[in-house]
Amino acid sequence: MLLIALLLIPVAAAVASFFVRRREAMEVVNVAGFGIVFLAAVALAAQVMAAGTVLLCNGFFYVDALSALVILLTASVALVCSTYSIGYLRDDQQSGALGDDLTSIEQIAHLRMYYSLTPLLVFSMLFMAMANNLGVMWAAMEATTLASIFLVTFYGKVTSIEAAWKYAIIGGVGLSMALFGTLVTYYAGHSLAGSDALSGLNWSVLAQHAAQLDKTSMRLAFVLILLGYGTKAGLAPMHTWKPDAYSEAPVPSAAILSSALLNCALYCLIRFYILTSRCLGPEYPGHLLLLFGLLSMGISVPFILVQQNYRRLLAYHTIDHAGIMTTALGLGGALGSLGLMLHMAFHTIAKSLLFLCAGNVSQHFRTDLFSRIKGSVIGAMPLTGVVFLMAMLAIIGMPPFSLFQSEFLIVRAAFDGGHVLTGVLFVLFGTGVFAGALLHVGGMILGPKGDSPPAGPRPWRDGSLLALAVALVVIGFWIPAPLFELIRGAAKVVSGQ
Amino acid sequence: MTPFLDMQIGDRVITLMAALVLVLQIAMVSQRWIVVHIRIFAAQSFFLAMIAATIAWYNHAPHIYIAAALTLVVKVILVPILFERLVERMEIHEEIEPIVNVPLSVLISGGLTLVGYVVAESFYKPGEPGLGHNMLAVAISLFLIGFFTMINRRKALTQVLALLSLENGLFLAAISLTYGMPLIVELGIFFDVLVAAMVLGILVYRIRETFESMDVSRLRRLRG
Repeated sequence: MLLIALLLIPVAAAVASFFVRRREAMEVVNVAGFGIVFLAAVALAAQVMAAGTVLLCNGFFYVDALSALVILLTASVALVCSTYSIGYLRDDQQSGALGDDLTSIEQIAHLRMYYSLTPLLVFSMLFMAMANNLGVMWAAMEATTLASIFLVTFYGKVTSIEAAWKYAIIGGVGLSMALFGTLVTYYAGHSLAGSDALSGLNWSVLAQHAAQLDKTSMRLAFVLILLGYGTKAGLAPMHTWKPDAYSEAPVPSAAILSSALLNCALYCLIRFYILTSRCLGPEYPGHLLLLFGLLSMGISVPFILVQQNYRRLLAYHTIDHAGIMTTALGLGGALGSLGLMLHMAFHTIAKSLLFLCAGNVSQHFRTDLFSRIKGSVIGAMPLTGVVFLMAMLAIIGMPPFSLFQSEFLIVRAAFDGGHVLTGVLFVLFGTGVFAGALLHVGGMILGPKGDSPPAGPRPWRDGSLLALAVALVVIGFWIPAPLFELIRGAAKVVSGQ
Repeated sequence: MTPFLDMQIGDRVITLMAALVLVLQIAMVSQRWIVVHIRIFAAQSFFLAMIAATIAWYNHAPHIYIAAALTLVVKVILVPILFERLVERMEIHEEIEPIVNVPLSVLISGGLTLVGYVVAESFYKPGEPGLGHNMLAVAISLFLIGFFTMINRRKALTQVLALLSLENGLFLAAISLTYGMPLIVELGIFFDVLVAAMVLGILVYRIRETFESMDVSRLRRLRG
């Protein structure tokens, strides 16, 4: 029942937004839809915590603590972004950012595209996290790309079309590799007893019989999967689409892509990591993941240091954090998995908050470049400035914020597991990112008041910002016990202990 | 025994058609006219559907018929019609010079086919009954040549066609390795292919409108 509601409501919201003619109606439909989705996600998480894994519809849907966590995070980001986008898109409509000489009907058509594609994107992400069949999971993942391409081209600028093209083609190639990997996994398991054409790709079946899967095939499958879903997660060297797509998409979409969709791509990687490590032992997939994770962290450092555009800076941050989480998965074990899951939750909050702050700054100053803002943020928009700086400190791992704890756990997992080189590199890259980000963002926010007028009231945007900021501060000191149980449950799914 | 039940004849028919699929893939590498490129893709998909139907016939696996029918509808009819209309509207008919010239491209494709055979060898288990052992090699070759074409061509639409032919390779791999994916997955994949063709078609059109060209090497503003 809950699952059906979770899937049907976004679809209904998409269809309704497509057919209504008034902006207010679309806004109401979206916020109400995502509100219900969020409540259903909380209820689902509670059900999973109380009754364990949920299997429905003949095993078509499979929700364990890991999927419940991903669903909960996706639903929360979607809700916050939908309230934020009310203020954001109204501002765009008034300032003519949607296009210079659009009639009001064309403007509504633009908004309709945004308000109907966003629920479809969220639907695909939720469906992905619930699918038991790994092939269906792939199809839902491909659907997330298709639903978000036209969100990237939203402003119709030359650069946004370029970004969308890169996103579509690199994502398409990556996902075709992931499909190949899924296929090889199916082949590895198709001689199992009890596997038939219907359930042969079901996670619940494969995970039980992982030890009997064909080992040679699983080796090949994991490489293909890592390249495929790694592209979607933006791991280096397949990350090049990311800064473009995130800096061109409307800010609420960029926030969803960089936090919730990243979680989804990692979720797919985690599922296959579990299968492969049960089949071949944790070393083989672990080493590959460490390689890609550290490479992503390393590559993002120079780009963060020389970055001039703050939205691209945030995108490189996401690449860095995709690397951190991949490294944590590669380290594995109870400690690494717990670090991974905590980091996923914390990063989702912090990164979406950062993008929303960047949206406020970008709409007020009409530029994405550090050099044009020069420290006048705190004067013109104090709340955004403070929250932006705080979220930045959080994301680079400053104590007392929550990401410090998860990163500390991951470093500990590295040294405990004897991966000294990994631990050292992790700290080194972390320091590089720390310096770069603080330098740029500090310089942008703190400074003498420029000639920019103070910003007017922006209730929708600042309300969403504050809600996330409070969440970010609070979970740094106190994680609600049920949420922590859920995170621990998810970590247990990953580590298998 | 009638030819319709003799496995050996079935094997030969499938091998012949797989060879045709491969030849068509290499023809795409050397083709300059976009409309011809689209038709070659349609022909390749047609033979793919025939391979699927043949396998379904000899293995009495009815669910592969559905996959064959879907291939026929989506990749032989809908997608080519969509793309030919697009070409008509955009009035761009000829591909500019690819990055690597044609003779060398064909040579590289030959090399990639060889790689395909080497990789497929590791999946080959002697004595295992089955149809068309060459099929997997052809499938991996399609995949690799599709990759190469994507890198080599500069027109947006040609890249989309290369992506779809790469997907054809996956379809062939699926029916040769496991006689197709589970039906629900197959349905999902075809839905995605259809939507992807439409979405990418619109995107190609917008690239043409915005840049007055379909040459994706002009898309180089976003850096760093």
